[in-house]
Amino acid sequence: MAASIAPECNDIKEKYDTCFLKWYSRYLRGNGQSNDCDELFSKYKTCLHKSLKEKGIDSMLDDARKSSSETDAEFLKKS
Amino acid sequence: MKFFENKFTYDYSFPAVSLAYFLRYPNPYSRHVLTTDVIDRYVDPTTQRLHTTRLHLKKSKVPSGILKLLPKGMGGSDNSGQSYILETTIVDPKEGWMETESRNMEWTGILSVVEKQRYQRVHSDDEVRALDGLSMEHKEKTTVRTTVTFKSRLGQGKLLGWKKADHDGDDDAPKKGFFSSLSTAGIQRTIELIGVSRTRDAVLKSKDGMNVVLERLRSGGIVGVLEGMRRDREALGLDVHLKRM
Repeated sequence: MAASIAPECNDIKEKYDTCFLKWYSRYLRGNGQSNDCDELFSKYKTCLHKSLKEKGIDSMLDDARKSSSETDAEFLKKS
Repeated sequence: MKFFENKFTYDYSFPAVSLAYFLRYPNPYSRHVLTTDVIDRYVDPTTQRLHTTRLHLKKSKVPSGILKLLPKGMGGSDNSGQSYILETTIVDPKEGWMETESRNMEWTGILSVVEKQRYQRVHSDDEVRALDGLSMEHKEKTTVRTTVTFKSRLGQGKLLGWKKADHDGDDDAPKKGFFSSLSTAGIQRTIELIGVSRTRDAVLKSKDGMNVVLERLRSGGIVGVLEGMRRDREALGLDVHLKRM
């Protein structure tokens, strides 16, 4: 599995990724109703967000996610 | 603004290709991808589509051709050799398509690169009939259309304040010579073209990487993919300290 940007989150990420893969295989076949991985994802997210904040990446990430749709509109307007 | 477009067909089913997309790092062609994290993920209750936002950290240097166009100091000291990529995907398993979008998070004023892909399940009745009775495995195919948009805003607006320098036409600027020989638009066009030429290689490489993951999936299932990944990760020596940590 791909490594996390936060080495301390690698273990929980690996558990979550493994859970997601199993879920995703079912989801692709139309059986994705369960939320088996929610708890692992929330633990992984908590670990990750703490690290992103410490590294100061969180605000850059927020901006990028926000501007994602805006820049699209802008591109279309200008071209 | 410049565009790059590419169409490709994978000899694998849509579920396999979409799974491989989420599992594509690490692979032997992705040595430059250092980390991948899931920032957000949910199933839209109305459409039942899966939405995912991921953050990738990649090794990448501002190309030397672009560095030459930047004012002194810019791109030099801060060029840590790593960059963040934001990736969003939407999967509709029922309709058999997946849309992805990847964009750089830094340097967007110099060059903003947005890659969009649409993966689509191919249903060919003729093909199904022709292969009737044979192995079902190769029957389904998946097409992918990739478009990459390059947009440089260098010299525009507040970013570098170059516009002013352009209009002043003063002789005292150390930028004279090379810079004055190129208009702002010319510099932007040059940067966009450098981006396009680099992207051609990158798109081919990522296709090769996907095919490695798909072949592992076919021969060894998910376990096969995970084992291959473990080997790739060891080869990467990922425990090397990341520069930004």
